[in-house]
Amino acid sequence: MKDFQNINPPRLAVWILRKLLRNDLLEEVEGDLEEKFFSVLSKSNKRKAKLNYWKQVLLYMRPFAIKKTKSNYSKYSIMFIYTIKLAFRNFLKHKSSFLINLGGLSTGLACVIMIYLWVNDELQMDKFHKLDKQLHQVLLNHEESGKLNTQPSTQGILADALESEVPEVLMAVEDTDPTWFGDNFSLENDKKNIKAIGKFSGDQYFEMFSFELLHGDASIVLDDKKSVVISESLARKFYQNPEYAIGETLTWNLLQFNDKVKVTGVFKDLPNNSSESFDFIIPFQNFKDLVGDGMNWGNYNAMTYATLREGTDLASLNERLGPFVKKKAEGSNVNVFMRPYSDQHLYNKYENGKLVGGRIFYVRLFSLIALFILGIACINFMNLSTAKASRRLKEVGVKKAIGADRKLLIFQYLGESIMLSLIALVVALLIVILLLPQFNVITGKYLTLSFDPIALLIMFGITLITGLLSGSYPALYLSSFQPTEILRGKLQSKFGELWIRRGLVVFQFSLSVILIVSVLVVHRQIEFAQTTPLGYERDNVILFPKEGKANDNLDLMLSELRNIPGVAYASASNHKVVQKSGFTTGVEWEGKNPEVETRFENVASYYDFIEAMGFEIVNGRSFSREFNNEGNSVLFNETAIAEMGFTNENAVGRTIKVWGNDVTIIGVVKDFQMQSVHDKVSPVLFRFDPTFLPNMVVKMQEGQEKETLARLNKFYEDFNPGYAFQFEFMDVEYQSLYQAEEKVAYLSKYFAILAILISCLGLFGLTSFTAERRSKEIGIRKILGSGNWRILVLLSTDFTKMVVSAIVIGLPISYFLVRQWLDEFALRIELQFWFFAVAGIAALAIAWLTVGIQTVKVSKINPVDQLRNE
Amino acid sequence: MKETGLGEFEEVILLLVGILAEEAYAFRLAEEFESQTKRSVSIGAVHSSLSRLEDKGFLTSEMGASTASRGGRRKRIYSITAAGERALQSAKDFRVSLWSQYPQLSFVGILNQ
Repeated sequence: MKDFQNINPPRLAVWILRKLLRNDLLEEVEGDLEEKFFSVLSKSNKRKAKLNYWKQVLLYMRPFAIKKTKSNYSKYSIMFIYTIKLAFRNFLKHKSSFLINLGGLSTGLACVIMIYLWVNDELQMDKFHKLDKQLHQVLLNHEESGKLNTQPSTQGILADALESEVPEVLMAVEDTDPTWFGDNFSLENDKKNIKAIGKFSGDQYFEMFSFELLHGDASIVLDDKKSVVISESLARKFYQNPEYAIGETLTWNLLQFNDKVKVTGVFKDLPNNSSESFDFIIPFQNFKDLVGDGMNWGNYNAMTYATLREGTDLASLNERLGPFVKKKAEGSNVNVFMRPYSDQHLYNKYENGKLVGGRIFYVRLFSLIALFILGIACINFMNLSTAKASRRLKEVGVKKAIGADRKLLIFQYLGESIMLSLIALVVALLIVILLLPQFNVITGKYLTLSFDPIALLIMFGITLITGLLSGSYPALYLSSFQPTEILRGKLQSKFGELWIRRGLVVFQFSLSVILIVSVLVVHRQIEFAQTTPLGYERDNVILFPKEGKANDNLDLMLSELRNIPGVAYASASNHKVVQKSGFTTGVEWEGKNPEVETRFENVASYYDFIEAMGFEIVNGRSFSREFNNEGNSVLFNETAIAEMGFTNENAVGRTIKVWGNDVTIIGVVKDFQMQSVHDKVSPVLFRFDPTFLPNMVVKMQEGQEKETLARLNKFYEDFNPGYAFQFEFMDVEYQSLYQAEEKVAYLSKYFAILAILISCLGLFGLTSFTAERRSKEIGIRKILGSGNWRILVLLSTDFTKMVVSAIVIGLPISYFLVRQWLDEFALRIELQFWFFAVAGIAALAIAWLTVGIQTVKVSKINPVDQLRNE
Repeated sequence: MKETGLGEFEEVILLLVGILAEEAYAFRLAEEFESQTKRSVSIGAVHSSLSRLEDKGFLTSEMGASTASRGGRRKRIYSITAAGERALQSAKDFRVSLWSQYPQLSFVGILNQ
């Protein structure tokens, strides 16, 4: 035994034993355990002895041996258990109000969780690049007509100049915007020709952006001019297995250009949180060769990105960068500046050179909506629990009389509401899991409900705050009463705080009214945008890329196309009309102010284009085969004519200069809406230019589109073997311009439904409460001869007043909001009285319906039942 | 066994208390139990059983003298009461009477197999 003098039982175990064991048992037990400890120690080792001691201590935790809980701590632990118990009893006892609260809170929470997922995804966009903090995009401010016009396209030679001349710039990379080439870009080997989204990029592209390379070395993949880096899925399409791709030869085709290149790398398909989208990259040098002389300080044919030295002050750098181009090229009107690359997704709207927001507006809007919806749900909860307070007043009185202090009562009510919100969280998660696929379709995202620690923390945080918020008012309110007053029944009259509850109902219904108006207006506007005449015919018009033999002999292709029965017109152009594409400022005319630059949409086209699109000629003629040399003929739209100071009548026959060449105006086209109805009609220049016409246009005769399409498909196979006939309907393209608005319409509809639902739940709860409180009064009234109808009116008047005041508050706000939204459109519907009338009446009807169900029930009860109690 | 209110574990503990006499305290009883039955048991389990038996009136206990080996702490020594003796006796009688009714044949049958 002497050997073990210095070894003692584990201290923590002894401490626990002393804390938990009954005091009268402590001496003998401690003695026994110590004896055991040394007995084990003498037989085996120290570790086993300690372990055994722990085991013995834990096995002593039996009911007979542990302390009876009588200390100060226990008051709270017992209270806690009772809080849970009482909460559940209360839930069971008042099932309807429990369900109303649960329904309201869980829809609110579900909404918040979904919006959180969306907002989080938006905020994370493009942030995954390793160099994110240093990564910047170069933008240009064009000085035009005394205003600044911010554009992302830059000169193709800017990147090299920045990298060599600006010390803060570590790397600068240029690339092309994949949308410029559309469907005209393809890759092929001897077996397949695949249209894919491609771009030309500087050789450091993969060093700057962290797109993961499966094969190939990021620092060299683009070094060789004759190389190509393709995506994993494109590699699969060509070679089944991406591993086989390296070293293989592919040919790229872009309009009449093509070249053979070797696959030097395969990148993993781009992640969902990247706003870039491309399938393959070819070194930028190829594009430089293609453009040739076009690579100068007056041409904007690349995007430029740069990484800056760490710790660079962007503001002061931008100040110095401003005149960078002007110093190089006399007469240039552009100022250079940079912005963080990951800002491009959310902060991309510039007005007169100043950042005015962008998508971040929607992020903020939806965050606000989420808060509102949760707020409404919380308010409902407060509302109902305050209203039902009378039911629980006696409980509070008795508790207080027995000795519960205010803290305990607050604790109880908060506990109850937190518990409810935890249950609501579970329901909300179920709702989210159910609705997420649909939500992803609407938002075009790939959101998943993940349970990583941060997400969990946020979800529980929101839930806890919801519980605290919704429970705080009843908790503070109920616990503040004097027990004697409650028990004497003197408090009933104190429920004069009706105005708070009324205010809450008014607030909710105002929101509902605003949302109803928004839904109506957004829908009408989108309908209007899609059906309003635009000044051209987009029905039965198809667009497809000019490729293969069409590039060799356009005239043959067009005459063959025209011979197909059912084809009205066939032509080609550089412009899709439904989208803006190129513009030019190179138009000069007599009397032009040299200080002011005017933008003209630059439409290069072939014969029959104006006819195929159904543009109306106001004066003069369109391009015609009867005249031999149309290269020097141009047409303008009315806006352009007016901009130049001519009239429709005197413009035709005038000679002006386009890019320094004399050209003659041969006709004036009636104004038409290019792009979406967001934009004002801009000046348009029609040129006759067979050299760059990437889009084919075919107008089909009405009534036999199906047959014509089949014939076109057949023709295409014969004429252009190896190419698939992939076409777009122009009207479908046009509709897709309103995707963003349609999303807003969709979402506002859902939110309106939700808001109304939650408001109704609140109103329903309040009505049932009022009906219950006035049940004796109703009973007496009925006995004295009041009819059901009078009772109905009696109970609804109060609520009608509230809803009417909500409408009075909500309508002006909604008018202001939709007015602002509509201001973004150049062509828009007029706000009509009936939008607001419908919204008001709908709100009123919904409220009456909600109140009605409850009041009809009450008014039908036999008065004897109402009065018999007590 | 119903009439005695003794469980199997309790019966063994009661017997051990009788066997150990002056040494009958929780630790020793647990050790003795383990060595006699080859079953492991915690001191807490033995103690719990002892206090239950005491409640039933089969045992009494008193604090013994302090010992140096336990850091000067006293032990609680248990001893059997008359009621305890009776309970043990009746438990034994009960078994014996059951055994006397047990058919001899099946015994033979088992042995023959």
